[in-house]
Amino acid sequence: MKLSKWLMLILIFAIGNTHAVLKVTVIKKDENAFPIAISPFKLIGNKSKDKDISKIIHDNLERSGRFDALIPIAVVDKINTKYWKEKNIEALVTGSIVQESDDIYRLSVNLFDIYSDTQLFTRSTRVHVSGFRKAAHQLSDYIYEALLGENGSFNTLLTYITVKENAKGIKQYSLNISDSDAMNAKSRIRLDSPILSPVWSPEHKYKNKKIAYVSFQNGRSEVFIWHPFLRKKIKKLPRFDGIASSPSWHPNGKSLVLTLSKKGNKDIYSYDLTNNKLSRLTQHKDIDTEASYSPDGKNLVFTSNRSGQAQIYIKNLKSGHINRTTFTGRYNAKAVFSPNGKHLALVHRVDNDYRIAMLNIESQELSMMSGGTLDESPYFSPNGDMIIFSSRRNGKGLLSVVSVEGNRSYELSAHDAEVRAPNWSSSLEN
Amino acid sequence: MKTKIIAILPLIALLSACSIIGNSKEKSNKVVIEDRGTGEVDAIAYEQGTFEWNGNEQVANTDAMPKEERENAVAALKANGGKLVLYFDYDTAVINPEANQEIMQHIAFMQNNPKIRLRLEGHADERGTREYNLALGENRALSVKQILDFDNRIEVVSYGEEKLQSSEHDKNRRVEFIYK
Repeated sequence: MKLSKWLMLILIFAIGNTHAVLKVTVIKKDENAFPIAISPFKLIGNKSKDKDISKIIHDNLERSGRFDALIPIAVVDKINTKYWKEKNIEALVTGSIVQESDDIYRLSVNLFDIYSDTQLFTRSTRVHVSGFRKAAHQLSDYIYEALLGENGSFNTLLTYITVKENAKGIKQYSLNISDSDAMNAKSRIRLDSPILSPVWSPEHKYKNKKIAYVSFQNGRSEVFIWHPFLRKKIKKLPRFDGIASSPSWHPNGKSLVLTLSKKGNKDIYSYDLTNNKLSRLTQHKDIDTEASYSPDGKNLVFTSNRSGQAQIYIKNLKSGHINRTTFTGRYNAKAVFSPNGKHLALVHRVDNDYRIAMLNIESQELSMMSGGTLDESPYFSPNGDMIIFSSRRNGKGLLSVVSVEGNRSYELSAHDAEVRAPNWSSSLEN
Repeated sequence: MKTKIIAILPLIALLSACSIIGNSKEKSNKVVIEDRGTGEVDAIAYEQGTFEWNGNEQVANTDAMPKEERENAVAALKANGGKLVLYFDYDTAVINPEANQEIMQHIAFMQNNPKIRLRLEGHADERGTREYNLALGENRALSVKQILDFDNRIEVVSYGEEKLQSSEHDKNRRVEFIYK
């Protein structure tokens, strides 16, 4: 009896946790993907563990669509360049894990270029057993950077909303965080009222990372700030008249922009978290919402229906000038800047479909990034290589990730829940 | 205030005509709208004849309307063809002129039940972005609040596209009247 009770508790706990875990499916890869082998790590010391480091690296590189990665069955001890050349492998990762004390390991990694027969890097670090996964993501970034000459986005975090009906048919909303590979998922905020618009603050350190989001837990939309890595958990912004929605962080992390409907007018305000001061950034009788800063903090992009339909505008915060930025199509909304500030990702209506598009701000060239009917909430990966957004298949919400060139993509889905409102953090530091 | 009353004058005529046609409900107590107050709206309502109403005329002197009384009043409103949902066109908060009759019914209802409070919930269909739809839903509720003109008794909230009612877009673009 007692045992079964415990079993049941364990079972419930497990089910509760699977809720937020997403399945990753690679859809399209680059035709000229880089062939790479990642050897299983050599374990030294009888209690040493692999902790799937080679698999995490493999999956990261595969997911980016820029690599054809494989894991040899056995540990590669000596590098036989001829053998790997015959297998058309161009780079090889080898490594070792040495146990130094109970929970501390020394992790060493080499990246070898098969063609030029040279070692590209060798790195070594001490890792607590809890930090293996993070180390694997950092290593993935190092490998990506060494081989492609661009920053990786692996050592980063995602946040997203999952929605699931309980046995009584009531929708349960969860605000989740996970590593960039959807592993290590945690859902700590669960409500039976809608949650939307989660967005990571720009800081790189774990303990400073916050998520601003909108919750209806008090019967109306309000903005909250969650510190997922601190004990001091959730802070609610002061109550404003009307709706508070669509938060987005200033690049310095000290203030956020949000939409408030004081006196019924939906305008964009900046809320300074250091002194709790509110300042108005737009003033118009029509809807202004979905504001987001340029990476340098000098411009603000937002949606307004002041022309009679939703279009994108950019406000120069120094001069105060507001310019309309989208001229193609009858509905353009929720734009965000690319990390280099040159492009916008946005929701663009084509006939009766709402798709993700990318706009070159200077040339006005608009490229379609998705082919769904109700795609929304685009956000760039921190290296600017990919765009993540909410999509639907068979009426169920999932997350799609597509490269800015459109040649690579993958999906994140939950078998028993809707997934939506993704947001990608900046890279992590300790 | 005055201009609005003039604008809705023909609608009151229409509404009273309708309430005469739909006169088959016999349970309701007859309450004559002109019996209460001396404001302009009442004066005009008087010109247009009597309304059928259910509920106690003498409202207790408390802030909120007693629950049972409120429920009876709302039931009578519905029995008289009153709609507790108002629908909108795509991407607009403009009240459809055809809905003015329904609006009139609510104005009369709030006049007749001076203690009743109203929560207007604005909604949107799922097309377009969630954040924009939240704003749109609030604009819809605010359009209704403005025309009802009982500012301190009306609370406005928006759920945007978070509480879809139907798989049909038309049924989701709405404002719900929740009397409390």
